[in-house]
Amino acid sequence: MIKLIEKIEGEAKLNFSFKDEKIDFVTIEFMSTRNIENILKGKHALDALVINPRVCGICGHAHLIATVQALEDCYEDLKISNKAKIIRELTLNFELIQNHFKWFYLTLLPLFGHKQQVLKATYPSQLMAKAIALFGGQYPHTSYTIVGGVVCEPTEMDIIKLNHYIDETIRFFENNLVKTDSNSFLLSDKIDKFLEYEGDLITILQQIKEDDMLALGKSYDRFISFGENSYFKKAKSIKTKVNDSVSIEYVKESDIPSSFAKSVTFKENYYEVGPLARAMINKAALVKDSHRKYGDSIFSRILARVCETSQLLAHSKKLLERLDLSEPSYINPNVDISKINGSGTSAVEAARGSLIHKVELQNGIIQNYEIITPTQWNLSGGTKKKQGVSQKAMIGLSDTKTAELVFKTFDVCSVCTTH
Amino acid sequence: MTSKKQLKKELIIQSALELFASKGFYSTTIPDIASSVKISVGSMYNYFTSKDVLAKEIIKYISLYLGNKLQNINEEKISTEEKTKKIVEVYFKTASLKPEMIDYFLRIYLSNREVFKNGCEGMICVNEFVTEIMIYFEEGVRCGDLRDQDFFSAFGLFMGYLGGMVFLKGEEILPKALDTYIDDISYNIYKALSK
Amino acid sequence: MIKLLWLSGITCNANTHSFLNYPFIEQFLNDFEFIYHPVLDSSYTLQEIVSNEIECDVLLIEGSISPEFQRADVSIEDIIRKYAPKVQKIVTVGTCATFGGIFSQSDYKDVTGLHFDKEQKNQKFENLFDKTISISGCPIHPEILVNTLYAIKGDIALRLDNFLRPKEFYAYTVHNGCVRNEYFEYKVDAHQFGELEGCMFYDHGCQAPFTHASCNKILWNEVNSKTRVGLPCFGCTEPTFPKANLFTTKKNMGVPENLPLGVGKRVYLTLAGITKAFKIPRLEKKLLDD
Repeated sequence: MIKLIEKIEGEAKLNFSFKDEKIDFVTIEFMSTRNIENILKGKHALDALVINPRVCGICGHAHLIATVQALEDCYEDLKISNKAKIIRELTLNFELIQNHFKWFYLTLLPLFGHKQQVLKATYPSQLMAKAIALFGGQYPHTSYTIVGGVVCEPTEMDIIKLNHYIDETIRFFENNLVKTDSNSFLLSDKIDKFLEYEGDLITILQQIKEDDMLALGKSYDRFISFGENSYFKKAKSIKTKVNDSVSIEYVKESDIPSSFAKSVTFKENYYEVGPLARAMINKAALVKDSHRKYGDSIFSRILARVCETSQLLAHSKKLLERLDLSEPSYINPNVDISKINGSGTSAVEAARGSLIHKVELQNGIIQNYEIITPTQWNLSGGTKKKQGVSQKAMIGLSDTKTAELVFKTFDVCSVCTTH
Repeated sequence: MTSKKQLKKELIIQSALELFASKGFYSTTIPDIASSVKISVGSMYNYFTSKDVLAKEIIKYISLYLGNKLQNINEEKISTEEKTKKIVEVYFKTASLKPEMIDYFLRIYLSNREVFKNGCEGMICVNEFVTEIMIYFEEGVRCGDLRDQDFFSAFGLFMGYLGGMVFLKGEEILPKALDTYIDDISYNIYKALSK
Repeated sequence: MIKLLWLSGITCNANTHSFLNYPFIEQFLNDFEFIYHPVLDSSYTLQEIVSNEIECDVLLIEGSISPEFQRADVSIEDIIRKYAPKVQKIVTVGTCATFGGIFSQSDYKDVTGLHFDKEQKNQKFENLFDKTISISGCPIHPEILVNTLYAIKGDIALRLDNFLRPKEFYAYTVHNGCVRNEYFEYKVDAHQFGELEGCMFYDHGCQAPFTHASCNKILWNEVNSKTRVGLPCFGCTEPTFPKANLFTTKKNMGVPENLPLGVGKRVYLTLAGITKAFKIPRLEKKLLDD
C-alpha cells in the first residue's frame, strides 16, 4: 500500500507491506532531486555561499554555515575572530529554534487531532528570523557569513534589540509550551514530575500517555552527532553509552534504487540524528529520564525537540555575554581563495540533525561538492534485513496513520533530502 | 554667455596658449595677454579674474576640445584597433596644428600642480578627456579586444607614449614629422593593450 | 473569500517560509482561504488537488517549471493547464517561478519560469500572460506578495513592468534607501567586510544600483537588508539571477561593467571623475569615531 506523505517541505511516498495486519516493511521514496551538487561544479568557491542556502527554505542557514566552514577548512591556517564564531553560532541557534516552533505547531499538532496553531508557529519564528536578520540582513537566504568571518558589524544597539527578541521568545515559550519559568524547566530531571506542568507540549505528551502510544516509534537506540560548537558535541550514543570517537571519514553515502534520496551510514550502520541524538549525547537530564522510561520512542523524540528549543534560547543568552564587540568581525584571509587548492569538510548541527558538507577546490573553483543532510540519516532506506532508522520505527505498527505520525516525529525535510 | 563674448574668450585662451608656449607660463603676465588680443587689462578681468583662473579655464578648454574629438571616435561603429589609430591621429594632429595646446597640457598642467590645486582637484579639469579614454578602454575590454587591467597601467602606457613623442617633437629631436609615426605607434599601443 | 492554490514546482520552499514571516498572518488567513498550501493546513490535500478540479480564484506558483517535473505523480505543467484557465489571476511567487532562477541549472529538462526563460519570453503559456503578475525575488518579500494579493482581492489595477512585476515595488532599485548610499554617491570606494562603512558596489559585487526591488524601502523581517549589514545585493529579483562571481564586481579597466540603472556610461564617468577628485573627511573616517 502506497501512501503519499504531504507537507514535509515537499512530499514522500511510503510503500507499506503488511503481514498479520502489522506493518512488515516500508520503503521511502523521494520523487525528485535538484542536484545542487552539480550546479556548484565549476563555480567560484564564494558563490557556494549564495547557492547553498537555497538548498532549503526552512533550514538554509545551516547550509550557509556548513558551506563557510567547509571552505575555511580548505585553508591551512585561517584566522576567525571569536566574535565571528559566536555570531555564527547564534544565528544557527535561531534557525534551529525557528524550525522547532514551526514543527511543533504546524506539523505535530494536526497529527494528534488538533488544529494547526499558525500564529503560535509564526510569532516566535518571526522573532528568531528578525534576530538572524539583525546580523544577516534578511531571513531566509542570507549569505552574511563569508570566508574570514561575518560581513556585519553589530553595535551595542543591535545587541539590545537582539536581547529583546530572545527574551520575548523565551516569554512565549514559558507562556505556551511549558507554563513555568525557563530556569525551573531547564532544571527538571524527572519526566513524571515534569508532566504536572501545563502547556501545549504537556498536552501532547499526556495525550501520548493516555492513548497508549508510549512505546511507539522505537528504533535502534543508536544516535550520532557530528557538529561541534559551544553547545553541541561530536559523539555517538548507543543505548546511553556515549563515545566521542567519531570521524566523518567513516560516513558513507549510497544510492537507494527506488528513490532519488541517498542512504547514509556510519561504519556501515544506520544512526538517528537530531535533537534526541543531541540530548542523549549531551546527557540532558529530563530527556535521559524519559529515555530511561520510554526509550527512543516518539515521546522522547518530541520531548527532546521541544526541550532543545528552550535550552538553545538560554544558551544563546550566555553566548551573548561572551560576545566582545571590539574584536574584528572579519579578518581578510592571507591567501585569496582563487589561489586555494585543496579540500574541506564541515559538519554542523541543523534543526533535524547533522549536516555534512565536503568541497574540493582547484584555484578557488569548485571541482566537487557533496552534501549529506540530516533527513538522509533518519530516512535512510535499508533492506528488510537491515532497516533504516525511521523504517525500523514504523515496523510493527498496525495502521498507516500512526506510521505517518512516527515518520513525522523525525521532522522530515524533503527539500533538503532532494538537494 | 553671448556668442560674441564666447568668441572673445576663446581668442584670449588661444593667445594665452601661444604666449605661454613662447615666453613660458610664469613670465607671461595678464597685461601681455591683454595687449596681444588688443583689449584693456580692465576688460580682461571681465573674462578671467586672475591668471590662475585663466590657467584652469585653459586646461578645461583643452580637455573639452580633445574630449569632443574622442567622443566622436568612441561613437563610431569601428573596431578597437581602428579606434586606437584614430585617437593617435587626433592627438598628433592636434600637436601639429595646435602645438601650444599639447605643450600646455604637458609642460604647464602636468608640471605646475600647485596652480591647479584648488578647483582642479584630481582629474576634474581634464574630466571630459579622461572619461572618453575610459570609455574607449571599457568598451575595448567588454568586446574582448583589450586585456583587462588596472586603468592607470593602461592610461599611463597610452598617454605616456603619446606625450613622449610630442615632447621629442617639441625638443626638435624627432627626425620625421609626427604623422609618419602614426601607423607604428598605434600598432604598438594596440599590441600592448590587446589580449 | 478569495480561494488560493499554492502550487510548488522545483523549489527550496523559501518563498513558502518567507510568506510565513508576514507579520499579520492571522488577518491574512481570515481574508483568504488556501485550498492548498505546502505547509499550512488547507481545505484539500495535494492528492485531491491534482486528481480533481477544485474551485479556485488565484493560482500561486512557486518554483521553476519543467515538463519533466511532477507533483503527486502529475506533471506540473498539466496541473497548471488544469487550474490556470479557471482562475482570475496567476501569481508567480519568486524568481524561480518567474524566470527559472537557480534551478534552471538543475538536471531537469527545459527548466524555465512560467512566462520567462531568463529575459526571453516563453511561448508555452502565452495565453496566460495577461492574467499573470510576477513577484520575483529569491525569496519573495512577504509584504510584497501579500499586498499584491490584497490588490487582486480589491480589484485594484496594478501597473506592471515588462516582466509583469508591480511597478510600485519593482520600479525602485535596491540602492534606494541603502544606508551606505553616501559612500556610493561620493565614490569612497574602499570597502572592507565587517565594517559599518563603505559601499560594496566598487569591489564586492553589489548589484543594488541596477536591481529592481524595494529591499531598502520595505525592510526584510521589518528590521534590515543585506546591503545595510554589509552584504552585497546579488540581484535576486532579476532574470539573470544567479550570475557568476557574486562577491566580485566585474570591471573593465577599472570601469564597472554594470552601471546604475538608466545612467549612461559617459554621465556616470563624468560625475565619478568629479566626486572622486574630492576627499570628504566625514566619509573617510569610521562612522562612530570622534
